[in-house]
Amino acid sequence: MNSLGRVVEVVEAFNRSVEAQVKRTRRDARFASELRRRWRRIQAQIPEIEIPTGLKFPRLALPPTDEPAEIARYLFGEGLPGEFPFVNGTYREMYLEKAESGKQKTEIEEPTRLFAGLGLAEDTNKRFHYLTHHQRTIRLSTAFDGPTLYGLDSDADGVFGKVGEGGVAIDTIEDMERLYANFPLGNEHFSVSMTINGPAPILLAMYVAVARHRFGPRVIPKLRGTVQADILKEVQAQNEIIFPLDASLRFLRDMVEFTTKYMPRWYPISISGYHMAEAGATPVQQAAYTLSNGFAYVEMFRARGLDVNRFGPRLSFFLDCALDLEYLALARVCRKLWAVGMRDAFGAGERAQLFKLHTQTSGRSLITSEFKNNLTRTAAELLLAYANATNSCHSNSADEPFTTPSEEYVRLAAHAQAILLEESGSFKFMMNALSGSPGMKIVERVVERAMLEEFHQLDELGGVLAATELRYQRSQIQAAAHRYEQQINDGTRPVIGLNRYHSAATESPAVNVVRTSREKKQRQLDRLEKFKRRHRSQSERALDQLAKVVERGGNVFAELIDTVEHCSLGQITARLADLVGRYRPTL
Amino acid sequence: MKAESNRRIESRATHPPSLRFDATSHATRSRPIRLLTAVPICDGHDSAISTINLEFVRRGLEVVYLGYHRSVRDVVRAAIQEDARAIGLSSYNGGHVEFFSEVLRELKRRGAGDIGVFGGGGGTITADDAKLLKRRGVDEIFFAGTPLDAMVNFVKRKYATAKKTFHAATSPSARLADGALAKCLTAAENGDRLSTLNSELSTRTLGVTGPGGAGKTTLIDELALRFLSTHPAGRLAVLSHDPSLVGDGALLGDRATMIYAQDDRVFMRSLATRGHAGGVSRATARCLDVLRHAGFDLVIVETVGVGQEALPFRRDLVDKTVLVMSPDYGSRLQLQKIAMLDAADLVVVNKSDLPGAKTAAAEIRQRLEHNQRGQRLIVTMAKRHRDPGVDNLFREVMS
Ligand code: B12
Repeated sequence: MNSLGRVVEVVEAFNRSVEAQVKRTRRDARFASELRRRWRRIQAQIPEIEIPTGLKFPRLALPPTDEPAEIARYLFGEGLPGEFPFVNGTYREMYLEKAESGKQKTEIEEPTRLFAGLGLAEDTNKRFHYLTHHQRTIRLSTAFDGPTLYGLDSDADGVFGKVGEGGVAIDTIEDMERLYANFPLGNEHFSVSMTINGPAPILLAMYVAVARHRFGPRVIPKLRGTVQADILKEVQAQNEIIFPLDASLRFLRDMVEFTTKYMPRWYPISISGYHMAEAGATPVQQAAYTLSNGFAYVEMFRARGLDVNRFGPRLSFFLDCALDLEYLALARVCRKLWAVGMRDAFGAGERAQLFKLHTQTSGRSLITSEFKNNLTRTAAELLLAYANATNSCHSNSADEPFTTPSEEYVRLAAHAQAILLEESGSFKFMMNALSGSPGMKIVERVVERAMLEEFHQLDELGGVLAATELRYQRSQIQAAAHRYEQQINDGTRPVIGLNRYHSAATESPAVNVVRTSREKKQRQLDRLEKFKRRHRSQSERALDQLAKVVERGGNVFAELIDTVEHCSLGQITARLADLVGRYRPTL
Repeated sequence: MKAESNRRIESRATHPPSLRFDATSHATRSRPIRLLTAVPICDGHDSAISTINLEFVRRGLEVVYLGYHRSVRDVVRAAIQEDARAIGLSSYNGGHVEFFSEVLRELKRRGAGDIGVFGGGGGTITADDAKLLKRRGVDEIFFAGTPLDAMVNFVKRKYATAKKTFHAATSPSARLADGALAKCLTAAENGDRLSTLNSELSTRTLGVTGPGGAGKTTLIDELALRFLSTHPAGRLAVLSHDPSLVGDGALLGDRATMIYAQDDRVFMRSLATRGHAGGVSRATARCLDVLRHAGFDLVIVETVGVGQEALPFRRDLVDKTVLVMSPDYGSRLQLQKIAMLDAADLVVVNKSDLPGAKTAAAEIRQRLEHNQRGQRLIVTMAKRHRDPGVDNLFREVMS
């Protein structure tokens, strides 16, 4: 049995222990009354808030019960927000407004994140400034274009048409400099997230090198942000792995080792199910494969000699939220299984038990016909995401099916979050106002069981890595995707404006597609050529130096921070591929 | 080991292969429509095409899937070699106008303008883009929300018959162009037999078989890498098989997992077994004759994943045979039942990183020694870059 089997065991043991406590309240009168006293104490400590209509409410909603069995089930089985096993949230107050001022809380950052990337680095830089000009805490989330995602330079054969499409084109450290120009890297109110996987170590190395240029080496430990770098789900769903899996994992471990030691505020890996769900996975597949990948990374980093209590708190998660019933409680179950697994199967302390979650609403649920309905879909998904106490959230724009979102719809998407969190009273006054409905609890139970079943299946196949090599997750996701489309076709899955209430009138909707002009693409090629020319004499040496580190078994990431000074992304990828080979795709 | 083991391997442009077929009625026989599908370079959005592939296959089409992140050259080369009626592209990461247009241009440049092009990309391909692309020669763009049925019906209507038919008189040239060779193979696949067999051919043929999941395709791709680098002018052909039932569709996916074999010096063809049991197709021998005559230095035949009793290479079908096994075949008892262990010239235990690999190798070595036929055992880890085991295998294959 490998670690996933252990996780199933400890979760089952945990559930039994909760049931034992519940039973004890019935047998053991002293225990029961003690519990009741504790419950009253907790209730008494909850502050009240007067809302603008004049009524007063508690800042935290607890189940309205005085029944010891119920209290035990809540306190031990779910935990108060911020308490083990964190079903109700990783922190005590998540989206609550500051009681005194009615302003956004300051100590907890705003959860809104908007994913952006278009054209060349300077264009994206402009978009970033536009998106954040009114924000105090700046959280940039970066999307890269196809060539960058595949580790290719913009001048690679046959990729001209893709330069700057769907994300920003980054070839060199100079592009990276332009991308975050005029932002205070290293400031405690500034963080970046980079959606990059195969070439993640190279791009992060560029980021570190840029920060070092601008602020000196002392900035490195202060850098805050996330790099996705989740290579397992690339094999399973997103298809952006470049080097063979073993080599990719080694580069990842080198990077995690480096950030754990020298960049303690960095999140070096965002363990993602989003891409699986978008590729067609069911909610349970998404959650089960994501958590199991997480446990696989933990096992791997531990084997490397890293301490789970040091890297554990720097792991974060990224899930989809769509309209399926499971999403009523999916994140709640994930928090519990992660916490129990980390504590009881891996001996992790509290900070490493937290399932810190970034949610993105479903892109796949957004369609072209009568596309303004997408505003409603996203709003409904957002509500579910926040009802699940996500730590941060990206809301998709209504023009998502067509193009890199235009400013108009990006603004609407951001405002949807503000309306939910700031205008509506459902989140800002009372923590957990929407949690704990009977339906939510039933969904929790069913989803948990199904996820454990998936863990068991993966365990039988020899664990996550073996199952991944067997294409298990991939083929399950593909089968689910096929089923999903068939269900849309046969009407089992109603899609408003498509297979239901379809209006023949609306054929090609008027959206502004964002495209990168030929001139811009050419500009990128020209400056790349200049960079290569300028560094011609040093680049070969830098690559040879990198090769030595790869072959010696040294820390490749540490070396990359120097390599990127003279070499482009494509040059580095090519040399690494020479040394370790290329990833062989599967069906 | 076969007698011709010290043949020189190099490209031979001197003896043009002469291809003549006996006239037959293949044109009238109905056969599945063959398509090639792919996702463009720098694009990994394969969810739509995977679903569409599954649907096409369910509805009786033969689909050669090239995979995602594929260049125009790779797409066009594959479509020509596979003699696909049409190419289905699924593009999401933008640049589709360029990509589709380049595919059309490259098809024309290579004299394969008869191959249709169609595709989709959800909402990323606008109505205006689609209009432009159709003007340039794309047959159809499917927008978001199109039911799978509509795509199947389109393909069955539009590509029911090949635009250009094969003429047996295709004049033999020094080196048959991919397109002409592909048409010959189609004729062979449909029952035509070469009428003149040249007995002085010096093409080496290698048969690779083994259970599903043992790593045959990976090994072949690694052999291709070694062949290409040691034979700077050499040409390699790969004939690979995937299972299908009579009258059913087939998903031919080996190309999708190949990286080094996507090269102008490699000719690859995927065959569906069309109901034939035993690991190869009824047409395999005929196709091999064609490839032998086309002047390749090496032809590799890959069978479908086979069971224990299978002996796919009957009567000198190929010069040399390789059985690829993974260490997890089970007990010694299971080993006794594997028929190919007595027939193969080379036995490869792949995935040497798996637990039990040492024991497996020892058990198999014993069995081979007992056979006393001079069979060789080679242990490999094909997924590892520059695996010395695969180097050994390559040496044995070429010796
Ligand atoms: C699913 C998805 C993903 C998944 C992909 C999973 C996978 N393995 O396929 C994930 C999350 C991984 C992903 C990642 C990215 N994505 Co994406 N993704 C989508 C999404 C939401 C749906 C696409 C989809 O598969 N739909 C399901 C299919 C079945 O339906 P359909 O698209 O409507 O297609 C129909 C027809 O067109 C037809 N069809 C399609 N192809 C073909 C082919 C043939 C031959 C035929 C006959 C028919 C046909 O069949 C379908 C059924 O009717 C779209 C937005 C959207 N809502 O459409 C963005 C979208 C395509 N993605 C986009 C981007 C930018 C990316 C990223 C580059 C983001 C980044 N910078 O990191 C990455 C790149 C990933 C990669 N490896 O290349 C952009 C593209 C923008 C552009 N071109 O200008 C979009 C439009 C979102 C957006 N607005 O930003 N994505």
